[in-house]
Amino acid sequence: MSGIPYTWEEGLFILFSVFVLLIVVIILSVIKKIGIGKEFTYAIAKGGIQLFAIAVFLTFLFEFELWYILIWLLLGTMILVSGYTSAKRAAEMPQAYSVTTPAILCGATSVLVVLAVTRAMPMEPQFIVPLAGMAFGNSMAICSLSLERLMREVRLSRLTIETALSLGATSRQALEDFGRLSIRASLIPTIDRLKTLGIIFIPGAMSGLLMAGTNPILAAEYQIIVFLMIVSGGLISTLTVYYLSRKRIFTPAEQLEAWV
Amino acid sequence: MACISIKNLKNSLDGKEILRGINLDVNKGEIMAIVGPSGSGKSTLLRCLNRLIETDEGDVIFDGKNIKSLPPVALRREIVLVHQETAMFEGTVFENVSFGPALQGEVDLAHIQKCLAEAGLPVEFAKKDASKLSGGEKKRVALARALALRPKVLLLDEPTAGVDPKKIEQVEKTILSFTKNHDLTVLWVKHHVEQAKRVSTRIANLKGGSVKEVTKTEEFKWEGAY
Repeated sequence: MSGIPYTWEEGLFILFSVFVLLIVVIILSVIKKIGIGKEFTYAIAKGGIQLFAIAVFLTFLFEFELWYILIWLLLGTMILVSGYTSAKRAAEMPQAYSVTTPAILCGATSVLVVLAVTRAMPMEPQFIVPLAGMAFGNSMAICSLSLERLMREVRLSRLTIETALSLGATSRQALEDFGRLSIRASLIPTIDRLKTLGIIFIPGAMSGLLMAGTNPILAAEYQIIVFLMIVSGGLISTLTVYYLSRKRIFTPAEQLEAWV
Repeated sequence: MACISIKNLKNSLDGKEILRGINLDVNKGEIMAIVGPSGSGKSTLLRCLNRLIETDEGDVIFDGKNIKSLPPVALRREIVLVHQETAMFEGTVFENVSFGPALQGEVDLAHIQKCLAEAGLPVEFAKKDASKLSGGEKKRVALARALALRPKVLLLDEPTAGVDPKKIEQVEKTILSFTKNHDLTVLWVKHHVEQAKRVSTRIANLKGGSVKEVTKTEEFKWEGAY
């Protein structure tokens, strides 16, 4: 058996069955006043519509002769949306997207280039789109965690940073410890996922390959390649966030910016 | 000769004028107390002098050079600011006191021990966890930390704020002693005029972001000064 064992019309029936269960859960959350009913409904509707929209787009893309032109549009959208979403984690930082967008771009692009050069990612849209999605998604998540933690540390430690500056530290020296903390914190979920890989969950790429009937050893090997690339990309993103944020947090005269 | 000459210094924050044209000369080796009500711009003035914040207008001449022409990091090693609230870095007292020299890769053990002693801290204090010290001890470590840089000018922003009243005079004596030993020029922000009179050679009275008067300490009449 390979692939999903039903047609998309049958799939709709299954989808509606799952939806009934979901409605029950949402009603329960409203009754219990958990306060997430509205946000939950919105998120599910938004996510569902987005997935169907991309599915329609991919159906067209996979059959389109000039797919290599269209795919740039898709990658461009991924970069802009991920950069903008991540920037919301540092609402107080002016033009935070000019920190997050290059950071995500550096991390994800380096991953995709290595995957392409090593032929782990064949130059076909069926491979490029999901792998690019994974690379951008993970870089975005790591970038958001890193930026959020760095800004929190800077806000809470303003006096310590200014004390260091007053004693002749450069902005790099004054921020070093907090940068290290934010980089470490942003990679904790990825490291935890690496540790539990195959025990608590079977990750997306491997699950997809298994469902499509790939040999489990080959699927695991591919998943490890993807995961290592994602870790490397995440590290590049978080380091870039730290470097670019430092330029934003301090003035060229090594002073904390007024908005901090 | 003035060690620091402040000319028409102006600074504003979020559109609100904090300093409205400060003019002040501070002589080499003198201790000048800066007094004034809350919000008169005392702390802002100190922060402008070591370029922790930028000024809107005016000049500060230090040792004959405009501070805007000096690299800020090098300037802050010569004009050291001790903040009103004391932040300790993670680690021991020794690591805190040697913070400035360590940044330049030149930790002189004997010099650090001397700074600790001059700040009234026994040698065995060096190994203590800095975060576990009392408020007064932290102030002393902050003073030793500033002294370790061998500065020319010390900017003290209420260095005895939050210190046990019984120990305020002790901290003041420590500052006076190492100021004399190292021929330091000191600008000392004081909220209480009586304290200012105890430690300074001259007093500058700030009001509404400008200098109302500068007098010799013994001639300063504090009643109704601010």
